[in-house]
Amino acid sequence: MAQHQISMVLDLNKCLGCQTCTMACKKLWTDGDGMDYMYWNNVETRPGQGYPRNWDKIGGGFEDGKLRPSELPSKEDYGQTFEYNYAERLFQGGMQAMPQEEVRNTPNWDEDVGALMLGENYYFYLPRLCNHCTNPACLEACPRKAIYKRTEDGIVLVDQERCEGYRYCMKACPYKKIYFNELLGKAQKCIFCYPRIEKGEVNACAKQCPGRLRFVGFLDDPESAVHKLVHVHKIALGLFPEKGTEPNVFYVPPFNPPRTGSYGKSVLEDPRMPMDYLKYLFGDEVIDVIGRLEGELHHAQSGGTSEVLQLLIGRDDQVRYQIPKHEDLIQIQGAHKA
Amino acid sequence: MKTLACLLICSASVVAQNPLDPAAPEWKSAAPMVLALHRTPPLYPTDAPAPLEIPSVQTQVIHIPAGNFVRLEWADKTHDTTVLPKAERAWQGDDLVTQSAATDRFSDACAVMVPAKTITGDLNPSLQMGDPDHPVHIFVWDSTRGAAVMEATGRETTKRTGQSFPAQAQYAAGKWAVTLQIPDLRAGTPFAVAIWNGSQQDRDGRKYFTIWYRAQ
Repeated sequence: MAQHQISMVLDLNKCLGCQTCTMACKKLWTDGDGMDYMYWNNVETRPGQGYPRNWDKIGGGFEDGKLRPSELPSKEDYGQTFEYNYAERLFQGGMQAMPQEEVRNTPNWDEDVGALMLGENYYFYLPRLCNHCTNPACLEACPRKAIYKRTEDGIVLVDQERCEGYRYCMKACPYKKIYFNELLGKAQKCIFCYPRIEKGEVNACAKQCPGRLRFVGFLDDPESAVHKLVHVHKIALGLFPEKGTEPNVFYVPPFNPPRTGSYGKSVLEDPRMPMDYLKYLFGDEVIDVIGRLEGELHHAQSGGTSEVLQLLIGRDDQVRYQIPKHEDLIQIQGAHKA
Repeated sequence: MKTLACLLICSASVVAQNPLDPAAPEWKSAAPMVLALHRTPPLYPTDAPAPLEIPSVQTQVIHIPAGNFVRLEWADKTHDTTVLPKAERAWQGDDLVTQSAATDRFSDACAVMVPAKTITGDLNPSLQMGDPDHPVHIFVWDSTRGAAVMEATGRETTKRTGQSFPAQAQYAAGKWAVTLQIPDLRAGTPFAVAIWNGSQQDRDGRKYFTIWYRAQ
């Protein structure tokens, strides 16, 4: 059991889908051998198939306290990489810029193919990373005990020396956020930038985010933004709570306006985005959260000051991140033990 | 305790051959024993019991001055092995090279387990990778990753020693033939065999196994 739990809250209303977080993570952690297809952090368009394809439908997590492993995603489920014929297009002319091969799936397929629903368009971006769960299915599934959860901050890591690449963790994770490095024969995943966290630095994905949508801190720190958003204001929820892993990455759900012609009505009264879809992702509690967000919005629109909305603006790093240095954390733990 | 008959070969002319070659002629004169294979039970309640696609493994053991050799031969319709690209440089110029090929395939493999300490009496180590009082050495050959020596003192304790050992393999006509040179497998030493079938997603404790036998 972790004594402290570091956590991240992502405000989906601010995500631009720019993939800067994805690339920050990629450049920092997954540019090594056998990691080319891995995006420890990815951003997927919703509704959509996600990355890997249909990860949310294939299974994983717990049911009645028992592990329910899924099938392993195939390489094709993670999407392919390809190049465009830029050289021919630029230097020979007379042709369209096209992929050099037939494209069947990409890491964010729905963004690439697009679709238009006339009149009532809605979509949002869902950035995803390892949820560093309180009850990690991956840890439960590993027969080699290669996966552990750090007591000082709750970060879940794969011991690369112990791991033999059996992939039970991949099957167990309901979020499919563990990847297999076939070249090395090891399972690899988001490490929540623990070397940065230990120095009091925020994760690379959060640091680089132009939308300033990520909040990072300790859930058990009453002064942290994550604590306030999750436990005080109760406007951030984990993905698929019914999977039983108790994720520690939380989302402020997307707040779309009501449908055309319902201006002025409650978003719950005539929602543009089907509430059933949000309930599918975040559980039934999302309806209450949308109601709270709408209440805060009305309060601000009528001239009041909303502490919640002010916090969600997240003007600077000091507002969004509260990360004690590791040595301070260890001292705090020592004091608690004494 | 079962006793496995084996042929003791001490001929110098035989030693001159290469007993690591699964097709070497001296193996034709080594008495083959057919050992029954068993499936481990499913790891999760949601796993269906795996069918017994490989019912047995033919085993031969020879002890010669050059060393102790085992030849395992089993029928396996699927040749589950991969040639991995060399792990050298993910980046070539500005391009991140595609090295990953699959996430859901597993390799055929086999292993021979022997006690790490001399066994006195008839009590063998636990078949589940030994126990704290009876550590074991496991000589694993994987069709993709090659040979590695592991040590263990019970289930969930297997650990790579960082050492390898000589092994050669052939796959032909739906059969694997693998020879392993195992220094620990002296005459009279108990041993057990495991087979992993990649197409059945075998790895770890999901495998075929024999009971303990003794080479004499």
